[in-house]
Amino acid sequence: MRRLQIILSRLVWLVPTLFGLTLVVFLIANVVPTDPARIIAGENATAAQVEELRHELGLDKPLHQQFGRYIYGLGTGDMGKSLYTARPISQDLLSRLPATLELTVVAILIAILIGVPAGVISAIRRNSLTDQVLRVLSVSGLAVAGFWLAMELQMFFSTKLGITPLNGRISGFGPEKYTGFLIVDSLLAWDMESLRDTFMHLLLPAVTLALPAAATLVRFTRAGVLEVVNSNYVLYESAMGMPRSLITWKYILRNALVSTVTQIGLIFGALFAGAVVVEAVFDWPGLGTYAVQSIMRSDNKAIMGFSLLVGFVFVIVNLMVDIVHTFIDPRTLE
Amino acid sequence: MSRFLLGLIVGFLSLVVSISSFAQNRYVHANNSSYDTLDPHRVNDVARVATRLNFYDGLYRWVDNPPRLIPWLATDHTVSDNGLVWTFTLRGDVKFQDGSLMTAKDVVYSMDRMLKLKSGAGALFLPVLDIGSTVAINPTTVQFKLKEPSAIFGSIVSDIFVVNSTLVKKNEVNNDWGAAWMTNHVAGSGSFSLKRYDPALGFIGERFAGHFAGWGPKYFDEIEFRTVVETNTRIQGLIRGDYDGLDGYLAPDQVMRLKKEKNVQIIEAESMRVYHIAMHNGRPPFDDIDFRKAMSYAFDYDGYIKSIMQGTVSRNPTIIPNNMWGAPDGLAGYSHDMKKAKEYLDKYQARNPGPIRTITIGTLAGFSETEQTASLMQNSLKKLGLNVKIESAPWPVISTKMQNPDTMFDMLPYWKSTFYADPNNWLGELYGSRYAPTRNVSSYKVAEVDKRLEDAMRTTDLNVRKRLYQEAGKIVFDDAAGIWIYNTKWFGPYSTRVAGIRFSPVGNGQDMRWGYVK
Amino acid sequence: MSAFKVLFGDRAAAIGAFLIISLVLVAIFAPALATHPADVAEFHLDKRLQAPSMEHWFGTDRMGSDIFSRILFGARITITIAVIAVGASVVIGVPIGLVAGYYGKWIGGAMMRTSDVFLAVPQIVLAIAIAQTLGPSVENVILALSVTYWPFWARLVYAETRALKPQIFIEAALALGASDLRVMVMHILPNIASAIIVRTSIGMGVTILTAAALGFLGLGAPAPTPEWGRMISEAREFLPAAWWYAAAPGLAIFVVVMGFNLLGDGLRDILDPKIRRGSK
Repeated sequence: MRRLQIILSRLVWLVPTLFGLTLVVFLIANVVPTDPARIIAGENATAAQVEELRHELGLDKPLHQQFGRYIYGLGTGDMGKSLYTARPISQDLLSRLPATLELTVVAILIAILIGVPAGVISAIRRNSLTDQVLRVLSVSGLAVAGFWLAMELQMFFSTKLGITPLNGRISGFGPEKYTGFLIVDSLLAWDMESLRDTFMHLLLPAVTLALPAAATLVRFTRAGVLEVVNSNYVLYESAMGMPRSLITWKYILRNALVSTVTQIGLIFGALFAGAVVVEAVFDWPGLGTYAVQSIMRSDNKAIMGFSLLVGFVFVIVNLMVDIVHTFIDPRTLE
Repeated sequence: MSRFLLGLIVGFLSLVVSISSFAQNRYVHANNSSYDTLDPHRVNDVARVATRLNFYDGLYRWVDNPPRLIPWLATDHTVSDNGLVWTFTLRGDVKFQDGSLMTAKDVVYSMDRMLKLKSGAGALFLPVLDIGSTVAINPTTVQFKLKEPSAIFGSIVSDIFVVNSTLVKKNEVNNDWGAAWMTNHVAGSGSFSLKRYDPALGFIGERFAGHFAGWGPKYFDEIEFRTVVETNTRIQGLIRGDYDGLDGYLAPDQVMRLKKEKNVQIIEAESMRVYHIAMHNGRPPFDDIDFRKAMSYAFDYDGYIKSIMQGTVSRNPTIIPNNMWGAPDGLAGYSHDMKKAKEYLDKYQARNPGPIRTITIGTLAGFSETEQTASLMQNSLKKLGLNVKIESAPWPVISTKMQNPDTMFDMLPYWKSTFYADPNNWLGELYGSRYAPTRNVSSYKVAEVDKRLEDAMRTTDLNVRKRLYQEAGKIVFDDAAGIWIYNTKWFGPYSTRVAGIRFSPVGNGQDMRWGYVK
Repeated sequence: MSAFKVLFGDRAAAIGAFLIISLVLVAIFAPALATHPADVAEFHLDKRLQAPSMEHWFGTDRMGSDIFSRILFGARITITIAVIAVGASVVIGVPIGLVAGYYGKWIGGAMMRTSDVFLAVPQIVLAIAIAQTLGPSVENVILALSVTYWPFWARLVYAETRALKPQIFIEAALALGASDLRVMVMHILPNIASAIIVRTSIGMGVTILTAAALGFLGLGAPAPTPEWGRMISEAREFLPAAWWYAAAPGLAIFVVVMGFNLLGDGLRDILDPKIRRGSK
């Protein structure tokens, strides 16, 4: 019941938060030094043509009216059209979301695969050389600039050694697009070549993204495990004669899991922020490059569109993390 | 065991398949702008010209260097005496990619559509044509009734890309003239038809065997144009063999690097793309001719061309490219002479005592040449005791700012592309009053120049026009209205496995009709 | 709480402090420490893109300027951005969080909802939007970062204040007649100070990384300012040949952020061993 209460109240807060976000982004996107009518009209247009186009597009109406029309459109699922491509924003966003999601999910998996075991080992062998080394590495992982690391890795592995692709999600256009997730689509088409190609292309970007996340996970897993190892009930069970390994599996890893889940919400945020620059370096056709491109071109509707989408995804992810948390750790329900 | 065998066979087959697709005559091009839309009437910039040139056809076509117009969908035209009625004869054997025949009514629809959408090349036609002024006299004759005489009309009809009106009308939604549908689809007659399109990635075109112009013995079966934003990545890709061709306006450092690669060929051609610094003639102290002359003598042309451009470009003393008719003869151009610069500055100061305000130079973010130019200028002006502030912004922001005299920078280095090969493209558009403030961003308004520009628009006599442009050009030059630096050389980077690339300054090397794999 | 742990805490903090102090000293004495101090604004077109040598320790850049000297001067920009952006966001966010956590209910709810709006999208995205709107410059980067960072502090202080408010010593102070303001400033603030300090150090590192990313995307200072992120983006064109061009500023960023991270970690271990969670 309490769980339900939490979920509902969070969902209810979703609406005003997103509304506020839309308003803030709308203000930012419209106080721009770029004139969208001029851009669409093109280099060769005369001033009169630009004004006509401005009127046609409704860009000469007062700001609050434009905002109102936008909100109204949202109700019908219409996010407007991109100023540059005349394509519906929702279409653009939907086609780019899988690219970023696929990258982010693979990065999280890599981060967990590296970070959690490292954190557990670090905790169990507390203060040993292994622990010190891992701690230094994890601090380093958070000190490296993502875009710089991406560039260096690309230069070394793709250019110098030639063993990884330079950029993009796949050579060519890939298999028939059903979901937009290349791994899934390759499997659906049973296209092993595409699958292999996809993984090769995912390698560098996902690893670059995963590094700071892995570093964070090492620290939190370590802390979480230490908390358990020192706790009284483990002492008790140990005194009661329970074998060490059983204690490890039962409590320590479970707490490691709690720490990890807690952090996934935060990590997701950091991963998306990292994706913005990593996508830029690797020409990844995802939301990150879309975001930067839209902002640089002052494509107002696109900016508002992806801000809403990202905000929405974030809130949902955080909510899911919190829900899972209530299952794992009943104390949070208090 | 049988599963293992199956896997082996599948693996072998996929290997065979990928080898055979390699043997196909495919061309892969990496472009730095994205192909956001396939609609030929929506965009007119040179960076995205690949979709227009390869999927569609225009009435005439610009080819080769120096650029010349050849008959394409139209075979010839006549102009009435008053220059207001242009009648074009069309070919009768042009098939659209869906098999239907092209007629004059498709041309009428295409022109009206361009005028209605008010974007892309429409901006070139709006001043001289209204919707409905284009008439189909018969299936192979189309007539344009202009509002005012325009000598350049014959040069810009190459930008009338003809769409399949029946097909587009079928896909109209809410009276949008097919705008939504045309973003993702092709309704043209061009040399290639659309095979695959992803706005985030690019497009794939496949050869249209039934194209009216026929095909030679060798051609590309498929062309793929991908978007790769980062210059360095494009170059690496060409070196690795991922791509067969790139855009041809790379920095000299990159060109030098590519020249050393065995599997890369660089095709050189003098282009028509002048790099200049526009000055805001309407804002003091730039409204004073002596001050402008001081600026003109302060820039280190040789240093820039020799060191930063590594001698790969030629000095262009005026705004009209050296290789274009109508360029004034025998002008050496302003040189880097700090003594002269100081003299003119002193002359200005004598009439305008007091400190000179900080000068702003705008630069295009991501185009290091503009930043280097600005730094060079800043350095020279510092020696004259002048303070300079450099501002950087992406092209859309710069574009907006430069088209408004209030926000336009004091100085702005940029390139003027070729939309049509006529002196009006440079001299007229950049220094004629009628083009202020959107194309004439220098706020340069001189009656003597305007008169000659207008006269040149009214007559189609080439000798008269040439004289008029040369005279006007000399006046602009003497007025030091801008700082003209160089004419770009096109260095087309292509893989050594392709040939037949036909470069024209208007086509930007993305015209794949005549290319083939060796 | 083994002796080793205190030692590590101490050592990390010490190394971190050493790095930070070095950074500050470098920034202050850049003109004296640089081998070619004039190269911040001057260039030599005949010496473009030279590899590291005895004369140019980190090589030269695309305009022929000495990279080593430019990096030293770039430290000034880095510190300025970090200190002002973090300082401003702390000065804005902490009081808001205090008030919100103390009074709770409507005011608290309203303030937290407002900060939620800013936290809904990653900081860098909002910062890019703001910086782009205002125009690329160091001042606007600082502004963009401050505006998008204060919610973190507000959230942090809000949570800590809410936890402290019901405690006995607060009730006692109120019973003795202390005003709300006095309680907030004299009783609550000192108790959450260590959390703030630790986060500040780490926050500096994060801010430097975000500022560098903005510079990389072209939103920072214009040429020829020697901002580290911008230098890396300039270098891209010339890789892999001119590898030093990107390596130097990248390593500079790494060392500086490492310093702040180590300091923050060490401080955390020293000041309050109970604080274990929360990277931001």
